[in-house]
Amino acid sequence: MYIIGENIHILSDKVKAALADRDAGFFQQSAVAQVEAGAQALDLNLGPRKKDGEEVFPWMVKTVEAVVDVPLSLDSTNLAGIEAGLKAVTKAQPIINSVSAEEERLEAVPLIAKKYNAKLVALTMAKSGIPVSADERVNIAIESLIPRLVEIDYPISDLIIDPLVLTVSGCQEYAPELIEAIRTLQVAWDPPPAISVGISNVSNGVPTEGRSLINRVYCAMLMGAGLQMMIADPFDQKQNEVIRVIEERDASTPVGKLYLAISDRVAAMEEPTVADVDTTDPEQMEIWKTVQILFNKVIYAESYLQQ
Amino acid sequence: MPVEIPKDSWPGSVNTVTLGATGDQGGSRTSTVTIGGEQSLPFMHFENPTPHRPVIAMEVAAARPADWSAVLLEAWGSTLDDPAVWARACEDAGADLIVLQFGLKGSDDGPVSAEFAVEVVKEVMDSTGLPLVVLGPGQAEIDNSILVPIADATKGERIVLGLCEEGNYRTIVAAAMANDHLVLGKTPMDVNLAKQLNILMTDMGLPLDRIVMDPTTGALGYGIEYGYSVMERLRLAALQGDAMTQLPMLVTPGVETWKTKESKVGAGIPDEWGEWAERGVNWETLTAVALIEAGADVVVLRHPQSLVRVRAAIAELTASETA
Repeated sequence: MYIIGENIHILSDKVKAALADRDAGFFQQSAVAQVEAGAQALDLNLGPRKKDGEEVFPWMVKTVEAVVDVPLSLDSTNLAGIEAGLKAVTKAQPIINSVSAEEERLEAVPLIAKKYNAKLVALTMAKSGIPVSADERVNIAIESLIPRLVEIDYPISDLIIDPLVLTVSGCQEYAPELIEAIRTLQVAWDPPPAISVGISNVSNGVPTEGRSLINRVYCAMLMGAGLQMMIADPFDQKQNEVIRVIEERDASTPVGKLYLAISDRVAAMEEPTVADVDTTDPEQMEIWKTVQILFNKVIYAESYLQQ
Repeated sequence: MPVEIPKDSWPGSVNTVTLGATGDQGGSRTSTVTIGGEQSLPFMHFENPTPHRPVIAMEVAAARPADWSAVLLEAWGSTLDDPAVWARACEDAGADLIVLQFGLKGSDDGPVSAEFAVEVVKEVMDSTGLPLVVLGPGQAEIDNSILVPIADATKGERIVLGLCEEGNYRTIVAAAMANDHLVLGKTPMDVNLAKQLNILMTDMGLPLDRIVMDPTTGALGYGIEYGYSVMERLRLAALQGDAMTQLPMLVTPGVETWKTKESKVGAGIPDEWGEWAERGVNWETLTAVALIEAGADVVVLRHPQSLVRVRAAIAELTASETA
């Protein structure tokens, strides 16, 4: 699993304050710690920065590149800011996060990606809003996103499609749709684009203490569908352990065996069943309840684990 | 050519809940009402018979309503001045249940008080033998201040107490548990919130056969499709076996429709909208019947003519079961 570290994100109050102070040490510490925790790239989400994007992005790139060598993902809607950041990159091939099928963006952003030899995250999202069914998401990729990149001769091997994680607390019925979208996108083009998602979004709106479990169960499901890249919290050790268990096929612990079973069931185009679960083990029961929520079998509620 | 009708078989069913208690049962009602028990989607009688028909509750305001449509004021006349008389009129008109609705005001335009509330409940119970749903104005503190004394004063009557919401469910559930009453849990139009409140209420130890839920709905033309979807999803989950969604549903088409312009306003309306009173009754009837199709077990109405029409619709929907 290729993890793009998500922790430098403007929605965090600490990040907001450190950015206002241009506190280079804060960002360097975060960058080093994320890479040491296993992040293979770093997402830098600084918001639109309409006023000072062209100053802030290069500053951030220089600050972070001073301490780590990994690719940097410039995450903003401010294209001028992103371009200024790209000019400052001296190390690994950077990533632009992101473009969507919205006409003006799809016209402009890929040209910048090509000009600076950047990878490009493309969201399966059109102007009409976020599509919910697997087919709609795949169609946006193969009818809008990929044709535009082919048109400008952008290497599809540098394209990263993000088929969008929606929240289980608000759009639960679409959680299983992503599995199908990921499966189909892998055979949608030759050569296939990479696929990445922002895994933590699945638990947006869930009380903090419940988020990690939902994230890692969804991660196991999506790995079964073939997911190999995600924007995620590299410090989530339980999630990292689930990734390791599935990648190494380590069924030596009962819980590990269950996560592996979840992933294998999805890979076999099945759904996990209660037969995969030791129902006397409270930890496995929590995982099972979460599986049922994410497969839209049981309606989500904040206290779903208490049921 | 023989046609084979496809049948669904569901693992779950809706809880059966009995409202009201007769003299033998520790109360004073002359009849009780039992709702719920569905094992299929509404009126799929070829899968499973409808165990209990949807019931019709009529809304009675504890103090003369200041903001009701003139159509309703005309229909009820002077009965509106006395909730006991009004409740009796509802019983005579064929209601199954009385929903006694308290507002923010009590007698003589003063704020609603516990004494006033208990007195009105007792007067209404003296004048009608029907089971009761008693609702506060929907502000947690005020609801608590009147519902707890009402619960104490009517122990054993199996009254449905509401509104039981996220902000006050502990108080209302405790009052119901201590006095053998039921509660009405109400949440904004959202399946996740509806289920969450049910988990919280049952977590306190209130048995599931003493909870009814109001998942909130909108009137025809004013969001009924959202309310319908929420009810449909809750009911599908219930039939699939999710215990925290298996509560019978009470909805309030009367409240919702009589605040729409179509029902409330008579002047300055295009001619093609038709006659005012007829329009209002149609609006309420159509909303109620649609919600019954979505799985409502109790519809709360305001106009006596809507009661007649919704009753007729239910009879037609269940005609093949009684033939």
